[in-house]
Amino acid sequence: MKLMGGMPNLNEKRPLGLRDDGTPYRVLVVDDSMFVIKQINQILTSESFSIVATAGDGEEGLEKYKEFFPNIDLVTMDVTMPKMDGLSALEKILEFDRNARVVMVSALGKEDLVKRALMTGAKNYIVKPLDRKKVLERIATSLKL
Amino acid sequence: MRVEYINPFVESAYNVLKEVLDCPVTRGELYLKSASTPVLGVAVLVGLAGDVEGRVLFDMNRATAVAIASTMNGEELQKLDELGKATITELANMITAQAVTKLYELGFRFDLTPPAIFTGDNMEVSTSQVEALIVPMEVPQGKLEINVAIRERA
Repeated sequence: MKLMGGMPNLNEKRPLGLRDDGTPYRVLVVDDSMFVIKQINQILTSESFSIVATAGDGEEGLEKYKEFFPNIDLVTMDVTMPKMDGLSALEKILEFDRNARVVMVSALGKEDLVKRALMTGAKNYIVKPLDRKKVLERIATSLKL
Repeated sequence: MRVEYINPFVESAYNVLKEVLDCPVTRGELYLKSASTPVLGVAVLVGLAGDVEGRVLFDMNRATAVAIASTMNGEELQKLDELGKATITELANMITAQAVTKLYELGFRFDLTPPAIFTGDNMEVSTSQVEALIVPMEVPQGKLEINVAIRERA
């Protein structure tokens, strides 16, 4: 069977960072490490996510969330940061927008910390070192929650 | 210093280095240092406070730091610039955090300070009233030492 010109190829997988209408999911990355911001940026942009802003601590993360709201679909949030830690920033972002989707990204995988983050309202928790596949899976799942 | 404190650092250093550098890692013999310890040129310090207190120092020379940061970034860094420093700091952070997670599972409770990186020549570190245990590690990029000084809180 001959395909008509211009018809979408149904076998071509849509990048995880794009919605059905082709627009990208918008992400705010909060981490005090330039290296981690670069890593997350590379992983997400490779799947067509759009990084709308980055922040180096929880306080700045909260400010950026308010500044870009409602044009943010997801936040990746480090835990141990100067000025305001990630759990406090998570609480404050949820106070401002109870529908905020926040995924914690930390090298610390202590059970009580993970539980606390999820009980507070984080959609997911990713333990570093970052694995590309794991990051994309967790973020894609969180966007559907 | 109790051996229970050290093993998690040895294991997590081995695991994290292997994962992020994707290369063989060799662990040297552990040894104790009680006096001032010379620092090799690039050192990242992470503080611990809680049931136990102290610090962990990740120490390497500048060439090793540049080579490790280059591998972790997938690009050749010419010098230890801001990205290079952030990369080495994050490596130390990941190793310490994984060790703390293991210690937590063993029942110890404490928090970490955000890591701080120091670079320079002829530096020394002194930790009064507590011996430092050195865990040497070797990777193709060079040698690094993990210098752990922890004691139970009085």
